[in-house]
Amino acid sequence: MTSTLSTPKSPIDFTVVGGFLGAGKTTFVNQVLRATTDRRFAVLVNDFGALNIDEALIIHQTGKIMKLANGCICCSLAGGLVDAMLALMEYQDELDHILIEASGVSYPSRIMDFARIDRDLRPGLTIVLIDAVHFTAQLTDAKLAETIQAQIEGADLFLISKGDIAGPEAVAATREALRSRHGAVPMVERHPDDDLARFLVFGADTGPNILNARNNKGGVGGESGAHAVSAHYHHDIPHADFGSFAMQAEEAIDLAAFRALVTTHRTTILRGKGILSTTDGMVVWQQTGRLIALDPADDRQVPEQGRSRIIVISPDDLSAVQTAFAALGFVPAESEGA
Amino acid sequence: MSDITVFEAKKIITMNQSRPEATHVAIRDGRILGTGSLAEMDAFGAFSLNRDFADKVLMPGFVEGHAHAMEGGIWSQAYVGYMDRYDPDGNLWRGSETMDAVVTTLQRLEAAMDDDSPLFSWGFDPIYFGGARMSVRELDQVSTTRPVLVLHSNGHLLNVNSKVLELAGIGDDTNVYGVLKDESGKPTGELMEMAAKYMAYKVTGNPFFGSIRPEALEGYAKSARNCGTTTATDLFATFDEDSLAAFRQVTSREDYALRLMPAMNTLDKPAAEGIADMKRAMQDNNDRLHHRLCKVMTDGSIQGFTGRLKWPGYHNGAPNGLWNMPPEQLAELVMEYHKAGLHLHIHTNGDEASEVMINAVEAAQLAHYRPDHRHTLQHCQMADASQFRRMAKLGLCANLFANHIYYWGDQHAAITMGPDRASRMDACATALRHGVPLAIHSDAPVTPLAPLFTAWCAVNRLTVSGAVLGAEECIDVPTALQAITLGAAYTLHMDHLIGSIEAGKYADFAVLEEDPLGVDPAALKDVPVWGTIVGGIPHQAATKAE
Repeated sequence: MTSTLSTPKSPIDFTVVGGFLGAGKTTFVNQVLRATTDRRFAVLVNDFGALNIDEALIIHQTGKIMKLANGCICCSLAGGLVDAMLALMEYQDELDHILIEASGVSYPSRIMDFARIDRDLRPGLTIVLIDAVHFTAQLTDAKLAETIQAQIEGADLFLISKGDIAGPEAVAATREALRSRHGAVPMVERHPDDDLARFLVFGADTGPNILNARNNKGGVGGESGAHAVSAHYHHDIPHADFGSFAMQAEEAIDLAAFRALVTTHRTTILRGKGILSTTDGMVVWQQTGRLIALDPADDRQVPEQGRSRIIVISPDDLSAVQTAFAALGFVPAESEGA
Repeated sequence: MSDITVFEAKKIITMNQSRPEATHVAIRDGRILGTGSLAEMDAFGAFSLNRDFADKVLMPGFVEGHAHAMEGGIWSQAYVGYMDRYDPDGNLWRGSETMDAVVTTLQRLEAAMDDDSPLFSWGFDPIYFGGARMSVRELDQVSTTRPVLVLHSNGHLLNVNSKVLELAGIGDDTNVYGVLKDESGKPTGELMEMAAKYMAYKVTGNPFFGSIRPEALEGYAKSARNCGTTTATDLFATFDEDSLAAFRQVTSREDYALRLMPAMNTLDKPAAEGIADMKRAMQDNNDRLHHRLCKVMTDGSIQGFTGRLKWPGYHNGAPNGLWNMPPEQLAELVMEYHKAGLHLHIHTNGDEASEVMINAVEAAQLAHYRPDHRHTLQHCQMADASQFRRMAKLGLCANLFANHIYYWGDQHAAITMGPDRASRMDACATALRHGVPLAIHSDAPVTPLAPLFTAWCAVNRLTVSGAVLGAEECIDVPTALQAITLGAAYTLHMDHLIGSIEAGKYADFAVLEEDPLGVDPAALKDVPVWGTIVGGIPHQAATKAE
């Protein structure tokens, strides 16, 4: 992957939220919109009306594009995704992050292709919401089966919604149906809270806080320390479904071995981030599931020459990953205040 | 009292069963007073006699129930289709019957360009080239310095030259579905799917998007005039402010040569919003603008393998097609618009799509009975007899895509449907046998706007190769003429105003050089069209230029 550090503006992070009708996409998008962040953020949605936007916040609206007082841009998918993306990218210099709410019949992985082909975008998570009440029945409905199957292709994460309505048996059946088809994709039973949504969408952007061991009060949960993984380099997790660990190393890391490790464990590592002192110099590591970036670091990103620091977050059991990192020379991180 | 004009013709085919033939028609204030002989005209009082058409045949102005106003604007881009086509001004765009011919056409157009803007073209259909595919090799012969883009007639694929690939940053290391590559791993320049096309358009702009412009609507009226059409739909219109203003602007002129019926896209907003938008738009209605239609897109196309089919699916084993929206949500849309008293035109190509929509209309009728809704399944290409029987009971109309039989019938028999089901595609005879009100259409600019050609397709069911596709579904000439006049008017809920020449209706006529009932049915498409009369105003067709 090309280094993004030399370009004048970093690529725009790109997240896709997919799932069939009724799986909870709009709820999720509203949760993300409630998140406080300094990121300049755009959402592309099917229906403006379904968003909880205070009219007073709307600065102006021209056709498909609505600008909000907090810097967010909302863009309507009316007229199609290609048209909407072309319209939105007119504002690309004003954006750090784009989230697409895929329509109920579109294929999220095809939408993520926008970020794979446009160098002004950086691929992020493809999150597919699964409606636990209806999913297994939809898989056997002749009119829907191909649509549903194509929709879960290429997901980086499944969020199982409506578990409380569906009941434990239906949730278990849903998990099994997903596991049998895409066993390598992490699954989370979604709890309808803002923190999880915020973590999943903005979690990757925890860089400065994680990288700077001396100033890690912020982190995954933004300003709310209670959810900030990096605030404590232990098992403070942003959500009950997630585990995390932070490690550090004082000796130079073998970059090839590191790359092999994170590639092997890419289905477990939902989020990974770090700065590495390697045999090939200082390197920034960013990973969201199967998307792995290992790029040369510039001086601004290197708080401590010669030391490596990483953080890993996952809904799955992390012990195997932690052991693997230990074999490369990592030890559990020290933490200020811990 | 306003002046009365009487038009004299060699023959007037009225399509009014009470008075099927006449030689004279009296009009006042743009409307028909009556038909009959010259002697009978005296009953209306003093009139001026117009004998300009005394050697011609008048029919009711043709009604195109499924076409797109883009037909009027797309000619600002280069046409590279297989068949000869005429643009609204009568200029002939020669068909490109080989890949080399496509390149030659583009080279000629490129040489005539005096700026460095991209060269866009449309209508390319390699289905006729026996599997040959276009690549950068061909398009780089057109230019290596100017972006060159070729949109396929199916709308899904786009070919570009190496300049576009370079600008878009698409190279050997681009690994995205939809960027086709050759054996050596180089992009061929063939792009499909949204992401790849987005990237090309991001660097060149996309002339195929945006609101409808007044110039396109002017072109559309010219195209209509050239083929005898006096009422046409724009069957998938975005009701944004610019488009609505364009509709208002052109139709405010009494000499605008078309009655326009845009159908609002219902898929891009919640039903309540769309219903309110339509009711607001209907306040713009005038004699030449008739907002009332609402369009629902259900599935894709048969030849694009995106139509939704019932068992046994695609003949060649291709996977089933795509929904434009979950079926349940489509059914909800139908329910809401039906309850609001609006008129739905529903795109269904595959028989599974038709079934879902027939069920939806049945549910809507059970919940909220409307005796005369005239909802219409558009294309409805694969409906079988059982579906037509249900449609008839529910009051659903069918507007069948007769032109498809000619343009893609061979491919349907060989590839998409197989010989059995292909023979009952666009089953006009079956629809009528079971009492379904019938219209037939061109879907222009997908195929040419020309109702007499569409009627010819329904009558003869000949394919490009000369085969007859399903002789049992052929209809006779009077029935086909009904389908392009009163039949289509009925599906638009306009049969009280257009579709036949009888008292009270708009004075809208197709002016023909020959009698379509007198020619060999195999020559129906060749009946020359002088032009139209719309609201009593004559509009002569463009002279066809070679």
